[in-house]
Amino acid sequence: MSGNGKNTYKIALVGNPNVGKSVIFGLLTGKYVTVSNYPGTTVEVSRGICKGLNGHTEIIDTPGANSLIPLSEDERVARDMLLEDYEKHVVQVLDAKNLRRGLLITTQIAEMGLPAVLVLNMWDELLDKGMNVNITTLQKALGIPVIKTIATHRVGISTLLTSIPSAAVSNFSINYGNIIEEGIKQIQNVLHISTRANKRALAIMLLSGDEALEDTLRGKLTHDSFKNIQRIRHNVQKHFRNPLSYEINIKRAHFVDALVERVTTTSTKKRESHPFMRGVFFYFLVPAVSFLIGYKLMTLLAFLVSSWFQPGDNAYFAASCIAGGISSLCFSWYIYSRERKTKSTLSEILGSITMHPVAAFPILIVILWGVYKLVGAFGAGTCVDFFESKIFGSALTPSGGFDIAIPIPFFDTSYTITHVNFQGFNYYCGLLAQKMVSKDNILFELFLHEQFGLIQVGLTYAIAIVFPIVGFFFLAFGILEDSGYLPRLAVMVDKIFKRIGLNGKAILPMVLGLGCDTMATLTTRILNTKKERVIATLLLALAIPCSAQLGVIAGVLGRFSGMFFAIYIFIIGTQLLFVGYLSSKVLPGEPSDFIMEIPPFRMPKLSNVFIKTFYRIHWFLKEAVPLFLIGTLVLFVATKIGVLSIVERVVSPVIKNFLGLPLETTHGFILGFLRRDYGAVSIFNTLEENAGSDGIDPRQLLVALVVITLFIPCLANFFVMIKERGLKNAFLMFAFILPYSILIGGIVRFVLQQFS
Amino acid sequence: MNETYLEEVLELIWTVEEESGKVDIDVLLKRIQVPKAERQIKTLAQNGLIKITNKSVAFTKQGRTNAQVIIRRHRLAERLLNDVLAVKEDTMNSSACQFEHFLDEEVTASICTLLGHPTSCPHGRAIPPGNCCKNASKEIRPVVMPLTELRPGDTAKISYIVTKCHQRLDKLSSIGLLPGIQIKLHQRQPTYVIQMGETQIALDNTTARDIYVRLI
Repeated sequence: MSGNGKNTYKIALVGNPNVGKSVIFGLLTGKYVTVSNYPGTTVEVSRGICKGLNGHTEIIDTPGANSLIPLSEDERVARDMLLEDYEKHVVQVLDAKNLRRGLLITTQIAEMGLPAVLVLNMWDELLDKGMNVNITTLQKALGIPVIKTIATHRVGISTLLTSIPSAAVSNFSINYGNIIEEGIKQIQNVLHISTRANKRALAIMLLSGDEALEDTLRGKLTHDSFKNIQRIRHNVQKHFRNPLSYEINIKRAHFVDALVERVTTTSTKKRESHPFMRGVFFYFLVPAVSFLIGYKLMTLLAFLVSSWFQPGDNAYFAASCIAGGISSLCFSWYIYSRERKTKSTLSEILGSITMHPVAAFPILIVILWGVYKLVGAFGAGTCVDFFESKIFGSALTPSGGFDIAIPIPFFDTSYTITHVNFQGFNYYCGLLAQKMVSKDNILFELFLHEQFGLIQVGLTYAIAIVFPIVGFFFLAFGILEDSGYLPRLAVMVDKIFKRIGLNGKAILPMVLGLGCDTMATLTTRILNTKKERVIATLLLALAIPCSAQLGVIAGVLGRFSGMFFAIYIFIIGTQLLFVGYLSSKVLPGEPSDFIMEIPPFRMPKLSNVFIKTFYRIHWFLKEAVPLFLIGTLVLFVATKIGVLSIVERVVSPVIKNFLGLPLETTHGFILGFLRRDYGAVSIFNTLEENAGSDGIDPRQLLVALVVITLFIPCLANFFVMIKERGLKNAFLMFAFILPYSILIGGIVRFVLQQFS
Repeated sequence: MNETYLEEVLELIWTVEEESGKVDIDVLLKRIQVPKAERQIKTLAQNGLIKITNKSVAFTKQGRTNAQVIIRRHRLAERLLNDVLAVKEDTMNSSACQFEHFLDEEVTASICTLLGHPTSCPHGRAIPPGNCCKNASKEIRPVVMPLTELRPGDTAKISYIVTKCHQRLDKLSSIGLLPGIQIKLHQRQPTYVIQMGETQIALDNTTARDIYVRLI
């Protein structure tokens, strides 16, 4: 270390997945990174400046890794960062109650010769489990500072800050036995490179068959050295039946087991849920909630076959109540008989019931229904209506203002407090603009034209239509994330996903894709094989509508009949499975195993949910508004110079004859490339205008919406696809999706015509 | 010592019969490795364990029973050495040959039970079932079995992991699922979920099948 560089180290946060690295990163930097309750939230390195130290120490948050010999891309990101060539102090975060798993990494950091601080996070959960860890003994055994924290409550963070500068290189080393040690020595001798990284650590990684590391070293080592390394590895391997990496891991685990034995004490007294809470849970919550589940399921079923049932019907009501009763009985009896005597806490009971092979599915459907109610009905319906027609309004006609009222339950009336005489943002803009130019002027049209004005359409769509939908989706998603429900979904869908060449883990990007496909495409990094990443990216681009789009679609189709929405879901679902199945057969490679940790069920912390939602909306608006404006501008220019009509003429046989849609929907499809939701909205409006007073033909609408859903992904998503999967793959997917979506649209139209 | 040689010959006859369906005495003599081969075969025939007709060797009823016991011991020993003791292949073969001669009925049965009444040896040949195997399905559950055989709520220790898939082994060992670790099976459907310490881990069927555990 050079004299003046005394303080110029960086801090690297590493640790197992889902131990709270990002929370600690947030606390140390004051910068927000997404935090949730499932492994794989962080897939990229984030950087910030550590507050509280000398003011210029950089701190780096890495994706969670179970081993520093990477098995997936996100683990590789973490490992490569540790090998980078600069001075660094490692802050290793581990889940105090899973000490053993964390220490497996500690041994590897120690081998790399990096100064480290150990953070035992979630100390409260450890105590709740009736366990304890002797910090002093651990500290002595490892020779590095050990700090206990409860990061979500900011406990222990200041101690951590003060101990980062005194991070030390751990003094223990593991003896891997004569044969392996000899191999390590031999490899060390052929590693003729200058690197800050410890050569013994590199040698162990190479001996373990670390392909990612070989890639990194390719430029630095001669061909002969590689040959030598392979030969040495081969010679050592001859002495063992199991792969060397496994033998090495076993040795490490033995070492760690002995250490854990020494430092942990377990009293059998585990904290239990309060008896009163248990009573409320067993005798009130479970029966009541499960009644609701049964009731809602029946209602949904009735909605889907609504030609037989009329809402408000007595039979309909009775059927729902009976279903509720049955569900209530089944659930209560099952949970009561199984869990009454056990000492499980309530969150453990919830955690296991949500991945029960039978009980979990009704729960899932009702959760989806709840999300739909919040996002689709309230966000996309009520809020969008209000924002679009009242707050923004039209440039030429006043909106008429709105009432502030409190609804009175059970009486179908509401108490009006006051009437707000606000005629809409666009209306006032229009008035202002007309002071300067007439409404036929091209400048007026550029900003306030009914169909492609930058303010009237671009800004209004982005904020009034998309903002509430996306906002509510992220809110709902945040709650699901933080409770730990999503990984349980992975358990449930694993078998189905195996059929489409993925495993259960892929549900995480898929569900996130329902929020934003662009974000989700980044998350495909948590998947283990290239084949899985390609399939997941393709399916996200093809068949997963993002929240903005889904909200619009659900809102629009819901106005007609549940039947159409059900058909829509069915078509998109079968496409997802069909294309997934095909690509799993076509693409080379093996599916990987489903081995996944399931985080405990936790009560979501509302403050975190809100902050997370805020940052996601922030990200979204920053991303979306410029694209909306560009899109509108492109449309405006295209209309003015006549390009649009040429494009329309070219595609008219497809749009008009094959899909049976009005020509003007071409706008929507072009817009769909800028933002998918934007396309859906535009198509709906076009259809509505075209139909006039007759009302839209729902079949036509269904065809249009199926095509726009399957249609090519939005621009932002496409860029991320190029970045993640490479230019060639991205264009291949593009070239497949474009004709395929239209083909399916044509087939749907044909089939629907047969049933008219 | 003579007894040992006779057993070796019986074993070889069984193996040859298993491979080609019939035993030709010339083939047998070519593969035999014990001294005074022809005399050994003659002794077996005198003892009424085999019959030789037209150069073709066949077991008598008694002979078949005896050979079955020897083969069973040998292959069980191979399983034990391979799976539990993780002995290397060449050592395994020579040790198994010695094992078969001194294991008695009771020890054989316990090894069989310990290993979960395996049906094939590490080389993929069938292990003839003993009495313990016939009773196993109703009476006692095997001591060592694949994780897929556990019932929800069972607690077990991992004995060994057998897989040809290198990645799977790395993945399992990197999350700390290694021999000696205590686990509890939480559920079997829709996928296996096990509890290891304070971590819950979901595993698919293919992975769970490779993990052999010992009930405790």
